[in-house]
Amino acid sequence: MPLRVVYLYRNLTRNLSRTLLTCCAVALPMTIYVLSMAVIKGIDRFLDNSAKQLRLVVGHKTSIINPLPRGHRAKIEALDPTHQRIMSICGVRWIGGTVQNEPHPLSTLAVEPDTFAQTFSDYYLTTEEMADWQRNRQAIIVGRATAQRFHWNVGDRIQINPSVPPYTPFEFKVISTAPKAIDPITNICRLDYLEELTKQAVTIVPEDWKLQGWVSFFFVKCGSQADVDHFRVAIDALFAHSPDETRTQDEKTFINEFIKQQFDLPRNLMILASLTVFVAIMAAANTMSMNLRDRMNETAILKSLGFSGRVIFGLIQTEGLALCLSGGLVGALTPYVLFTYSPLRNFTVPLIQTLEIQPIVCVQAMGIALVIGMLASAWPAWVGLRLPVISALRNLE
Amino acid sequence: MPESEIELRDVRKVYYKDRIDIPVLEGLNLSVPAGEFAVLMGPSGSGKSTLLHLIGGLDSPTSGSIRVADSNLEQMNERELTAWRSRNVGFIFQMYHLVPVLTAAQNVELPLLLFRMPSSERRKRVATALGVVGLGDRMDHRPNQLSGGQEQRVAIARAIVTDPRMILADEPTGDLDAKTSEEILNLLNTLNTEFGKTILMVTHDPRAASHGQRLLHLDKGVLERDERTPARAPAAVS
Repeated sequence: MPLRVVYLYRNLTRNLSRTLLTCCAVALPMTIYVLSMAVIKGIDRFLDNSAKQLRLVVGHKTSIINPLPRGHRAKIEALDPTHQRIMSICGVRWIGGTVQNEPHPLSTLAVEPDTFAQTFSDYYLTTEEMADWQRNRQAIIVGRATAQRFHWNVGDRIQINPSVPPYTPFEFKVISTAPKAIDPITNICRLDYLEELTKQAVTIVPEDWKLQGWVSFFFVKCGSQADVDHFRVAIDALFAHSPDETRTQDEKTFINEFIKQQFDLPRNLMILASLTVFVAIMAAANTMSMNLRDRMNETAILKSLGFSGRVIFGLIQTEGLALCLSGGLVGALTPYVLFTYSPLRNFTVPLIQTLEIQPIVCVQAMGIALVIGMLASAWPAWVGLRLPVISALRNLE
Repeated sequence: MPESEIELRDVRKVYYKDRIDIPVLEGLNLSVPAGEFAVLMGPSGSGKSTLLHLIGGLDSPTSGSIRVADSNLEQMNERELTAWRSRNVGFIFQMYHLVPVLTAAQNVELPLLLFRMPSSERRKRVATALGVVGLGDRMDHRPNQLSGGQEQRVAIARAIVTDPRMILADEPTGDLDAKTSEEILNLLNTLNTEFGKTILMVTHDPRAASHGQRLLHLDKGVLERDERTPARAPAAVS
């Protein structure tokens, strides 16, 4: 093996615990980066799919927590008497929900049953499921990740406690686990069933509760992108100056805005990844500085033997790069292997089907590790380059 | 009279510390012929090591000229000096300063990394250098597996592996017992007489000094005495 490689290897293994700890300090941010990018790209895929669906989301102008009257649907439909540009409209109401003895909240939506399948064709319901959906008012389509979590199967009868009045348990019959839907979490039930149960359970309803005849949003499926652009403006103009003014957005913008309002996951993940990369630079720089300090005498001797400052600079930089690339390799490959070849590949997060780690993200992580190595060893390498051999030799005497 | 390998003319060296001039060498003139084994003696602070460093191109004089191995060192920049040093000078230090994680052979091979040569040639040179110092059978030993004398032999092998014209030794026996010191000094004598290396050695030890052909006494930066030792004649330079 060439002596340069041997020397590099021996330098890295002189203080093995220090090297391993520094590798970990670089590996961890790379893992965080790779996972963050997987989540961000997963959300991007979800948003891109939403854009492809040519759907508009109509909500209340003042806030998404204010409902809209269901009567808006007919008025919106009237904007296109031909039914060629507005294909279908589906009112949706959020009911959240929990399962008994389970602290984690569910994502459940009650939808107008007659137009759901047409508006949300990306759920790819089979003919049999469609028939079940139309026939059974207790029908519920559960997200496949949610079904997996609670071991729900098609045909099961399940109970969900809604997060909205009347708060009493609702009984449902699972008719599908939506295996092809892009959203693996959300459950879909029928709005008419929700309203019926609400009517039965709540005897005296204050008017401002708006339990009957109200929805959180309308999803409007358009015929083309031009129709999306047209009706985004037309719908808001229709309800301008009315008691329930609307705010209409395309679905991608709506979800993106919702994510940003709630937790802005992509931004926060990038901030986290950037901070950890910064910490990795500090840790690696500290290690490289300590390595140089420990070997200051050797560096002086190498210079006296005829090693130029540039060669010394190169040796220290190579060591820093090798150290950080090793950490980067471990940090990038660990999540890749885990999420590609182990049962973890079925891991889901809200909005994301499965956490898919693309090789290009691992390559990017290696690139970042390379930059960390360069930055971390830049100062020690500069010190080595400029090391005055005489004063260093005097310190040895 | 052999040609001068080292020629110093009116060399002054002043260090600046805390805004104070500290003169170390005061207008030194010296000529060392090729193939000579010269010994520098003097009290601490007399400028011995500084003189060695100037001759070895590790430092530059404040004024004066230094001509070593056909090169005017005061006219060379840092980069040129580094390259010149790798070809012409072998350094030996009191504390050996081997790289502890490399074997004896790898330590000796280090200076050869600066030269373009096939690895087979490098291995051959390393084996030869370690053979000359009598450590042909310790090539794969790490420094911590060698005695002090053996470590110094490896350091000498490292100094001669590039076949430099001269060897500069800064108290090479300062850390060794009398018997081992004698072995190291005999080895330096061999390098001088059989291989024609010009040697300039700094020492405090009069017994070590007796191995040289010429004794240079420095005091307060001035060459006080320059005398020949009776025992040996200069080596014939090939």
